[in-house]
Amino acid sequence: MTDSPPTSVRPRWIARYAALVRAGWLVDLQYRAAVSIWLLWGLIDPLISLGIWWSIAAGGSIEGYDRPAFARYFFAVILVNQLTLAWDAFYIDNWIRGGEMNHRLARPISPIHEAVADNIAYKLRTAGTVIMLWLLAAAVWEPVRIPIEPARWALAAIATLFAAAIRFLNGYATGLLAFWTTRATAIMETQYGISLFLSGRIAPLSLLPPAVVSVAGVLWFPYMLAFPVEILTGAITGVDAYARGFAWQVFWLTAWFGAYRVVWSRGLRHYGAVGG
Amino acid sequence: MEAAIIADELTKHYRVKVRASGLRNALSALVRPQYREVRAVEDVTFRIAPGEVVAFLGPNGAGKTTTLKMLAGLLYPTAGRARVSGFDPWTGGAPFKSRIALVLGNKQQLLWDLPPEETFLLNRAIYGVSARDFRTRLDELVALLELVPLLDKPVRQLSLGERMKCELAASLLHAPDILFLDEPTLGLDVGAQDAIRGFLRQYRDRHGATVLLTSHYMADVTALAPRVLIVNRGRLLYDGELRALVARIAPTKRLELVLANGVTTEQLAAFGEVMEFRFPNATLAVRREDVAAVSARILANLPIADLSIQEPPVEDVIRRAFQETDPFTNDGSRS
Repeated sequence: MTDSPPTSVRPRWIARYAALVRAGWLVDLQYRAAVSIWLLWGLIDPLISLGIWWSIAAGGSIEGYDRPAFARYFFAVILVNQLTLAWDAFYIDNWIRGGEMNHRLARPISPIHEAVADNIAYKLRTAGTVIMLWLLAAAVWEPVRIPIEPARWALAAIATLFAAAIRFLNGYATGLLAFWTTRATAIMETQYGISLFLSGRIAPLSLLPPAVVSVAGVLWFPYMLAFPVEILTGAITGVDAYARGFAWQVFWLTAWFGAYRVVWSRGLRHYGAVGG
Repeated sequence: MEAAIIADELTKHYRVKVRASGLRNALSALVRPQYREVRAVEDVTFRIAPGEVVAFLGPNGAGKTTTLKMLAGLLYPTAGRARVSGFDPWTGGAPFKSRIALVLGNKQQLLWDLPPEETFLLNRAIYGVSARDFRTRLDELVALLELVPLLDKPVRQLSLGERMKCELAASLLHAPDILFLDEPTLGLDVGAQDAIRGFLRQYRDRHGATVLLTSHYMADVTALAPRVLIVNRGRLLYDGELRALVARIAPTKRLELVLANGVTTEQLAAFGEVMEFRFPNATLAVRREDVAAVSARILANLPIADLSIQEPPVEDVIRRAFQETDPFTNDGSRS
């Protein structure tokens, strides 16, 4: 067989990611009905929360949140949640326990890149739909309109990117616990349950008891959702608040990346390569 | 020349959780889990030269696949060393992975919902194969494996044999030096098995790749691998030519006779051990070195309509090799 010189490193990684994202995109296309249902699921529970808080706020504002503020908050939750969604723990658990990890380990590329590319493909497909729905809602419903402030939007975009990375690494590292235990997905479900409250998914964090807010503030949960949502909706402002939030995001991103590296390298040594 | 594959006292032990059935035992295992050590591979040593095709044989759980996965860098050994294509499999990283292919008969890498060509394109990018090499190699693999009608069908709609052909193509696009094949014909019908064997033979002849394969089908072994490694309970029992193993384990050949007239069992027994006799067919076991002379005597003294000389079935030989704990300790055939 003929041999051509190998491509240089940077174009090779661009080509790899382009091919992985393309494959993820094409697979999602095959499952468009399922993707639509997942998307719908991502809309339902914030809208239910909005309905509840809308009723509660009938008498006036609660901790600074009136009805339009709740509407903006939960629309932002829908968007940021869609952009930061991570389901990898369930896939990784299945790959490890079912033997699907084997051929991935035989490739000259870490399986994490396939997971990152799948995330990008899925989010490219669904985020546009969510933004379109928000624009349609904003066209007819004044409360969900957000002032055009490019600087704030840019900060929110950066915070969302960090949030997506934290949430991805959190899910991926948790999924890798399947190297040792059959309960990796249960651990993920537990984190998800906690995150409903501490990430600001069910209610804005400022409505929770102060002690809970203090605990949440030092954990990773608010930085995976509430922080970018609050930047986008204007619930937090000021350099100090931004700096504090981004510092925590960098801290948790580093921590979860470190956790991923440790669990990955130790997990490989522990791996039994089951299921063929 | 350095060997393509070197395994040096490779050992893999696992700790597995054990639990008796029943609710009480399940609860007890939560509080006080108990473990058992499994010695999957024990001090396995061998060398495979570049371009050689070697089959790993052994009953289920013998340690074949575990050894294969250690050599492919998937599993870390408990002890021992290995070199594959000049690399340590566990630290060789991407340069090592680019030199090998691992084909698993029961777990495939093909993108299930997409046509196989999508997996080929993905692997092209992952392995950094140039457009020119990709086209040349794919054309060759498509021709050898007769893939044209399969390229645009979703993988989920392909038969098992068609999927294995595509799996092989996907695994070989980066032109690996070393092929690890774990049960490549598992579950395939006879025709598909033949097609895969024919392809592997041609591929090895054209490219000189080193092949280490496991299979439960003796036809794979006799068609592809002149040399076999026999393992049982994690230990290497035999390393050598299949032909030599057959001669050693089965010192007799089978003379299959079709008789023209009636003879007695006693008459037949004068020429060898009577294995079967149901007129007009009879089968005798005769020592290898006596086969020519005995055949001549039978033809001269018995009413024979037909006579053929057969090797004993390889399956029987291998089964007997598995059953013997270590029949080769004295002859130095273990490397």
